[in-house]
Amino acid sequence: MLQLRNVHKRYSGIPAVEDVSFAARAGEITGYLGANGSGKSTTMKMVAGLIEPSSGEILFDGRAVCGDWMAFRQRIGYVPEEPHLYTHLSGMEYLVMVAQLRDMDRRSAAERIHGLLRLFGLHGDRDVSISSYSKGMRQKVLLSAALMHNPDLILLDEPFSGLDVGSSLILRSLIKELAARGKVVLFSSHELETVERLCSHIVILHRGKIVADDSIERLRVLMAVPTLEEIFSQLAVEQDSDSISREIADLIDA
Amino acid sequence: MRKGLVLRRLQFRVLYHVFLLRVFDLELMSANGDPTRLLGQFAVMFSSVSFLFSLPGLLYLTGRGRLAADYGWTAEHFFIATTLTAVGMITVLNWDSVFPDRRDVLVLGPLPVRASTLFLAKISALFAASGLVVVGLNIFSGLVWPLLFSSGREGALDLMRAWPAYWITVFAAAGFVVCTVLAVQGIAANLLPRQYFLRLSAFLQAGVFCALLSLYILEPHLESPGALTAPGNQRLLAWLPSYWFLGMFQQLNGSMHPAFEPLARRAWIALGTSVLGAAAALLLSYFRMMPKIVEQPEILPGAWNNSWLPNFGNSLRDAITFFSLRTLLRSRQHRMILSFFSGIGLAIVVGYVTIFGGLGSVRTGISIALLIASILMLVFVILGIRVVAAIPISLSANWIIRVTQVRPSGAYREAVRFSWIALGVAPIWLLVAGLLLTTSPSWQVFGHLVVLFVLGTLLVELCLLSFPKIPFTCSYLPGKANIHIAFWSGLVLLFQLVSTGARFESRVLNRPLNYGLMILLLAISLAGLRSLTSARARRGAEVVFEEEYPVDLVSLNLS
Repeated sequence: MLQLRNVHKRYSGIPAVEDVSFAARAGEITGYLGANGSGKSTTMKMVAGLIEPSSGEILFDGRAVCGDWMAFRQRIGYVPEEPHLYTHLSGMEYLVMVAQLRDMDRRSAAERIHGLLRLFGLHGDRDVSISSYSKGMRQKVLLSAALMHNPDLILLDEPFSGLDVGSSLILRSLIKELAARGKVVLFSSHELETVERLCSHIVILHRGKIVADDSIERLRVLMAVPTLEEIFSQLAVEQDSDSISREIADLIDA
Repeated sequence: MRKGLVLRRLQFRVLYHVFLLRVFDLELMSANGDPTRLLGQFAVMFSSVSFLFSLPGLLYLTGRGRLAADYGWTAEHFFIATTLTAVGMITVLNWDSVFPDRRDVLVLGPLPVRASTLFLAKISALFAASGLVVVGLNIFSGLVWPLLFSSGREGALDLMRAWPAYWITVFAAAGFVVCTVLAVQGIAANLLPRQYFLRLSAFLQAGVFCALLSLYILEPHLESPGALTAPGNQRLLAWLPSYWFLGMFQQLNGSMHPAFEPLARRAWIALGTSVLGAAAALLLSYFRMMPKIVEQPEILPGAWNNSWLPNFGNSLRDAITFFSLRTLLRSRQHRMILSFFSGIGLAIVVGYVTIFGGLGSVRTGISIALLIASILMLVFVILGIRVVAAIPISLSANWIIRVTQVRPSGAYREAVRFSWIALGVAPIWLLVAGLLLTTSPSWQVFGHLVVLFVLGTLLVELCLLSFPKIPFTCSYLPGKANIHIAFWSGLVLLFQLVSTGARFESRVLNRPLNYGLMILLLAISLAGLRSLTSARARRGAEVVFEEEYPVDLVSLNLS
């Protein structure tokens, strides 16, 4: 189980994440939602160990992750929001490098890399430089890199970004399958429909603070609204989308 | 019709401005960097050099008046060769900006911009950048020195003739080098499929850069009537463009010595050929390449798999060594900086070997010149790698190395050490070993190879002390290392040190006991440095990626 306890993150005194506490359980897909700039990716990066929390505690299976970062890193797979990759390498070279950095056995790593590339439909382009990959192809490389060492905790920050319909359907099923096999999945997305279909538990962040942490079913009942979109609109959207869209149309029409 | 022309002119002006600012690799600049300011700084840098060059000329003008003909020719040749090399290097650095890249085509493709406008703006920006270099580099020296280069006949008209002659010559020399580089690129682009062209282009660029630098350093002094007319030098002169343009200057200046006649003719022919060649090759390749830029991937799929790659003992070594090697081979800016250092090293090596002696001597089996040359080459290559290693390839992508750190930082240090030895020490060592063992295998040669290896590893340890990070992955703090300044200011000291060391080595190579003591001393120094770097690595469990100013500098010890 992944637990965040009173986690804060401030950048030059400006709070990005404030007093965030929640738990993501094994076998469960936890949806982590929020508007742009709400602190979702900052939280993900703190869990992945890329940035340090200003205060608070992150625990995995009851142990503070900062106590043994190296052991924790062996157990996490992380797909970041932006597909930042070493684009001068080919997809194959990148994944081999990640396997080597993770100290994976050479033979089993090669089998898994070839298998993942084949299943993600990248095998034909494995020796092509990543600089010429499409956004979707880059996302598949990120997913392969995050999953090839069979992690216990999977952090997915906008994993569907750039994927085509077929790949999105595969990923959706894969996330379910991984959760069913006892993995902890923390999943952040703006696609509320997908979150609604996948996640049993959601955490909604607004301006760095948690405004909801419950199952979708219970939130529906509590807030007396039928969809996640409406729950989200009530809790985390401040603008009137109709009036803003009218203003934009008026502006370009003028 | 008129409206269309106005629009095209406007588009040309906008694109020309954008491409001119992109002459320098803007990805190198910080987020707050201003490209216009950078361009200005380069102009100031070149004009400062010009000011320094003009000072001796001013002294001559105020003191003795006119120069002796021979010395005048040396000075004329120096300014022409310097302009030619500087413009050549700037053009080679802009190698990739001749053709529109994928980004240009994707951004400008959907806009109503004609391919011809894009082409003209690109080429104009390239020539404008070269023109700025010519003007910057000659702005003061080009005013002062031509007065000393006048034909010698009395009269203000003859005196005035030297200025246009000088400026026409330096611009013609610059035009020749720019057009030659463009023609080479255009011919390669026409003859090869785009993907092969891109692959070859990288090596061609580094090769031309290295050649320009080596030629400038190694070019012999033939600025005397005797040397210019000597039959033995005629073949050499036919290959040295700076002397052709010296001939052109003499012709334009009206101070033509008969020895310059064939050289001046060659300069005009070369200029015409390069301009026509560049225009034809570029026009043909430009419109042929435009559609392919978007359609085709930039790098050819490799025909091999990773199973043939060597195993260096552990996976971390493999990861860091192959990552570093691929970065050096595939990143333009890293390759160019390394070519710069290797070019200087190569020029010095060739210079030493040709000036101070052959490959072997009877007494030691290996000449001092070669001892010095091999050590210097090693130093230059390792220094080059040290400089480029500090420049990140893609800073935002280093998250993967951070989230996959499953070993202590000491293991990373060891892997980095191995990669530096594999990429810096081993190639030079193998080259020297191959050269010496095939020409004069002897005990002394084996002895020198041992010294070379220990020296190489010592240098690597020194680099690790000043740069305890994974190459090409860490943020860059400009001005912190000041390695370029340290390098240039230490160059003279380095020559002296290496020269003394090589002479000492040459002496002890014949005395086994002394040689053994020298190796022991080197080994002790190596062990000491190694334990120091390892102790530093043990201090921090995490690998450092962010380059930061020291705390006392930031806080001024106020807290």
